[in-house]
Amino acid sequence: MLKKGDIIIFAVILAIILFSSIGVYYYKFDKNDIQKVAIIKQGDVVIEKIFIDDLNELKEIKIFGNDNVIIHAEKGRIRFYKSDCPDRICVNSGWISKRGETAVCLPYKIIIKIEGVDDEVDIITH
Amino acid sequence: MNKTKKLVLISLFISQALVLSIIESWITLPIPVPGVKLGLANIITLIVIIFFSFKEALIVVIMRTMLSSIFGGGGLIVFLFSCAGGVLSTVVMAGLHKVKHDVFSIVGISVAGAAAHNIGQVLVAALIMKDMAVIALLPLILTFGSIMGILVGIVSGFLEDKLKRSKIFDLY
Repeated sequence: MLKKGDIIIFAVILAIILFSSIGVYYYKFDKNDIQKVAIIKQGDVVIEKIFIDDLNELKEIKIFGNDNVIIHAEKGRIRFYKSDCPDRICVNSGWISKRGETAVCLPYKIIIKIEGVDDEVDIITH
Repeated sequence: MNKTKKLVLISLFISQALVLSIIESWITLPIPVPGVKLGLANIITLIVIIFFSFKEALIVVIMRTMLSSIFGGGGLIVFLFSCAGGVLSTVVMAGLHKVKHDVFSIVGISVAGAAAHNIGQVLVAALIMKDMAVIALLPLILTFGSIMGILVGIVSGFLEDKLKRSKIFDLY
């Protein structure tokens, strides 16, 4: 049932998966960061940056203008806790905790992403 | 085929695609990537490409994504998002189908369409969110998307055989 051209299609897709996996792997693990920072953005606007490793209790973040979107952050992890968007993909993403991970609410253009901060960068933590 | 019959068949395909995409929106797959769907509506897109042409398939895809974001309440952004993926995969599948006869099987075409859909959606998501971090989801989405593409291709093959034998496209 499979034909000659199919092998080319499978090879191309496998190559894309392989190369993008390598890219993502390096993006996630290339440096030993001392700090993980969770960044909440809506479109171009950075709403909040949280050093999630420093949290000792639950922190609730509400998005201005989207009152029904609630984000919860606690020590080392962050998630969309509630949202009234139609697909709930953001809430279903669950907790994210590793560098390079994202949770996205497409209808409201809200993204939570976790990045690393180098020790060369000056940061004020407390 | 006369105009009225074509209109009726295309409308039927749009409604079937719409029902499939509504049903699959209820199904949460037990995989670690949120938002990945079965791609059942792609069965209809493939069938329309095979029995009609690119133009009709494009109409079916655009109407289906428009209606499903109205019924699903997704709004304009979700419509643009699913429409971009659908249109891109239709372009790829129709292009491969043109050279099909002994080069690509229906499974191969379906997988290529699924991959185009996934890549298109990740890029559109990055554009909408104005954030490149979304692209990090691509390897996982593409892996699961291709598996779904194989299944959809197999199902479409069965449906193609049945429809060919049914002769509904031959009369009038």
